[in-house]
Amino acid sequence: MRTERFTLGVPSSKRTVAASLVVLAAMLVVPFVTTPYYTGLAMTALVFLMLGVSWNLLAGYAGQISLGHAAFFGLGAYVAAWLTTPAAAGLPAIPFPLSHPIVALVLGGVGAALVALVTGPVMFRLRGHYFAIGTLALAAIIRLVLTDKRSISGGSTGYYLNAGMGEIPTYLLTVVVAALATVGVYLVVNSRLGLGMRAIHDDETAASGLGVDPLRYKMYAFLISAFIAGLAGAAYALNSLYINPTSTLAVTWTVDTLVIVILGGMGTVAGPLFGTVVFMVIDNGLTSVLGGLATTVEGVIIILVVIFLPDGIYGSLKSYVAGRNESDDAATSG
Amino acid sequence: MVSIDLLAQTVSNGVLLGGIYALAALGLSLIFGIMDVVNLAHGHLLMLGGYVAIVLFTMAGLSPLVGMLAAMLVLFVIGIVLQRALLERVVDEGIEQPILVLFGVALVFQNLGQHFLGSDAQSTELTLGIGGIDLGPVLLSPSRTVTFVVAVLLVVLTWLFLEYTSTGHAIRATSQNRAAARYVGIDTDRIYMLTMGVGAALAGAAGSLLSMLFPIDPYVGWSYLLKSFAVVVLGGVGSIIGTLVGGVILGTAENVTALFLGGSYRDVMTFTIFLLVLLLKPEGLFGTGGGGE
Repeated sequence: MRTERFTLGVPSSKRTVAASLVVLAAMLVVPFVTTPYYTGLAMTALVFLMLGVSWNLLAGYAGQISLGHAAFFGLGAYVAAWLTTPAAAGLPAIPFPLSHPIVALVLGGVGAALVALVTGPVMFRLRGHYFAIGTLALAAIIRLVLTDKRSISGGSTGYYLNAGMGEIPTYLLTVVVAALATVGVYLVVNSRLGLGMRAIHDDETAASGLGVDPLRYKMYAFLISAFIAGLAGAAYALNSLYINPTSTLAVTWTVDTLVIVILGGMGTVAGPLFGTVVFMVIDNGLTSVLGGLATTVEGVIIILVVIFLPDGIYGSLKSYVAGRNESDDAATSG
Repeated sequence: MVSIDLLAQTVSNGVLLGGIYALAALGLSLIFGIMDVVNLAHGHLLMLGGYVAIVLFTMAGLSPLVGMLAAMLVLFVIGIVLQRALLERVVDEGIEQPILVLFGVALVFQNLGQHFLGSDAQSTELTLGIGGIDLGPVLLSPSRTVTFVVAVLLVVLTWLFLEYTSTGHAIRATSQNRAAARYVGIDTDRIYMLTMGVGAALAGAAGSLLSMLFPIDPYVGWSYLLKSFAVVVLGGVGSIIGTLVGGVILGTAENVTALFLGGSYRDVMTFTIFLLVLLLKPEGLFGTGGGGE
């Protein structure tokens, strides 16, 4: 949460690229070499990864803590549902290219980004704590209204999708989209755009004094972030084929996202990746061992990591390794 | 069409409910004003306070008014422990860490409540043996009247404490300028602890009072957090009169909305008011600080 953590420049060493390609290839073959159970786990991990990448850009880089990310996730899920299965919401038939699952997925992201575009200028009149609580309120309004509008959301009975793409194609599509989102955010944070976002994170007054328009950079972060969260929601909907306002808009999605990014390390590109892996292990392990108390342990993890490992697992590992190299250098030179 | 009598009854119920909202908001306002931390777990502390009264009521048959005193004591201790164990390490470290830590605390309380107390909504009942106050078209029910009076009494007592005791002066001094307060010999760490304790106790009292009117379940935390925060924003941070007025406005607006649009729009109204005030009048009706800062 301070500047030193940010590494400027592009550390795109060949090793990093190679490792990323291996991970990507491994993710792509999962459905062909493992059981549907593991494919399901991998699918969940990809959805979480996208959410983590999305929240990390807004909170970790631009410094805007959103507690309403579930809203964008849920909107993405519902847009995908409305486009692929309009009849269930009483909508007229949607013509072919729009109703195709791949287009519906992208439009899920676009729908969430549009909501961000409309609400952003309003929400960014709030700063710090007020922004955090404002996003919490915004998400609550969206959830309550959608829950009430049973005709378009299915209410508590839910909404069944008839996307008809099959499990494996949906999974492969999600792998590609998640990879593109991760790479996209990586490129953004290492560009001029990302520099602007970090500048307003570090010191908004100083940045605006130097000609960086805070609202503009916050909006870019908000739009991209909402777009990716919407993609994640749409992927979730296309895969589970059943959604309801609680399953897609509940605060738990925000919570899990925070755990992932904080565990991994806010403001680092690799943070959400590390966080997702650790979270999947903890979440599955915890639920089987602790049952109903898993959320308590997640809460405790958030608290402990924020207090004792404020840079997250990846950030702390990195500074530990850097520190060791430094002391090695000192030893050899001395 | 809604009759005038029904509207008058709805408004009066809302005003009475507003007293409790003011009490809940006062705790949040105190913590925010003095420590510059939005207590994201405030609604969950309120929920715990409600459960202290509920458990004492269902297990021991204690009156929820006695339960309220117990809840205040329990929550005072919880507040102090939270400050000592967690917040002390992150307050004054920027805004991200306190937000995230308190978010974690809220999750823990909600999940523990759900696990040990069950997800079913429970409530307490106030038996006083007195009738309501009949004002012609409006009947003030005994439980609503008593909870309102107790809530306002606690608000006034808190005001007297801040205004007329030396500890109260030390708290206000700390909120105005922490460094200067230290120079004149105020132990600001102790003040922070006390503030968290008192803030949590007020939330606990509000929770116990609410349990006499509405069922409480482990998930009410977020909703009451947003309501309390809406009142703080409406009245202005640090203004006790503002908090009272804000509470009454919110309680009334909610009840009138529920009457015209249905109960599910009660919270939508609250959050909309909250966002509108932040945008249009961020300093609140009576306050000096505000959402722009």
